[in-house]
Amino acid sequence: MPLFYFDIDDGERFTRDEQGLDCPHREAARDYAIGVLPDLAREAMPDGDRHKIVVTVREESGRPVFRAVLSIDAEWLDDGRQDRRPD
Amino acid sequence: MSNPLILKLQHGADLTDEDRAMLESITARTREVGPREDLIREGDKPEHVRLVLEGFAFRYKMLPDGQRQITGYLVPGDFCDLHVWILGEMDHSIGTLTRCTIVEVPGETINELTARYPRIARALWWATLVEDAVTREALVGMGQRPADRQLAHFLCELLLRLQAVGRASETSYEFPVTQEDLGDTLGLSTVHVNRTLQKLRDDGLITLRGKALTIPDPDALKRFAGFNPNYLHLRRGEKKGDPRGNVFRSGA
Repeated sequence: MPLFYFDIDDGERFTRDEQGLDCPHREAARDYAIGVLPDLAREAMPDGDRHKIVVTVREESGRPVFRAVLSIDAEWLDDGRQDRRPD
Repeated sequence: MSNPLILKLQHGADLTDEDRAMLESITARTREVGPREDLIREGDKPEHVRLVLEGFAFRYKMLPDGQRQITGYLVPGDFCDLHVWILGEMDHSIGTLTRCTIVEVPGETINELTARYPRIARALWWATLVEDAVTREALVGMGQRPADRQLAHFLCELLLRLQAVGRASETSYEFPVTQEDLGDTLGLSTVHVNRTLQKLRDDGLITLRGKALTIPDPDALKRFAGFNPNYLHLRRGEKKGDPRGNVFRSGA
């Protein structure tokens, strides 16, 4: 089975995958990369209104072949001045 | 190397020399099992009660889709299936992680132990209750702790459990659990485990060289994990002349 590496960047920390994972084919690596995102999002408690988690899949040779991005965009819909949480 | 069963059960009852001699005699006949072998499978009806004397084993369940959940680890001194001869058949499987030294104690011997040795009976009961507590704590971790604290908590727990049976030093132990195993234990993807391990490393909370795990400042890791050892019900350092030596050889 071919080996794929899954590097993760959430804007705060970049983790280069040195171990890799055997996947039966590219499609499985793709599915796996996408499946990892919600798992990681559970951790990410963004302070700001924008947050992105990026998974980049590399082949065994090191060549990047796939990327999946999960983004959280948060914004107030009123002027945001009333009923603000006390700091 | 001192008998891990005795070291462990001393936390559960005030054992006498006679109790210790009895425990020594039931663990005299051992069997070696290779790594990654099933000791017993779901549905089996064991006639013996198995005990891990050396090595790591784990309890797991397989789901119909082939997914695996590891529900607990067995370290030296832990019984595999203490009460299965009451329950009838195994509702989960147990596999070895490393090469293990196993003892098989006939069910009748356990019956005799519990009938004639009240302190041993108490200690076995204690061991079962502590295992429940460990499972409960894992459930808390999976449900409520973020991955980094959940993993840190697990590493703190293993440190204390291994120290209790003289298989860890103050700051390090042999950690044969792979990232895949950890994922199946903590309910995380392997990639997430890899990232979380790296975070703990980057933050200086752990170092991992091969299978040698070092926790340079155990109190710091415990604080980070929010680890309270109460659920392990260990009575460390209360006994005089406790032969719990440092037998872990780092770099071995």
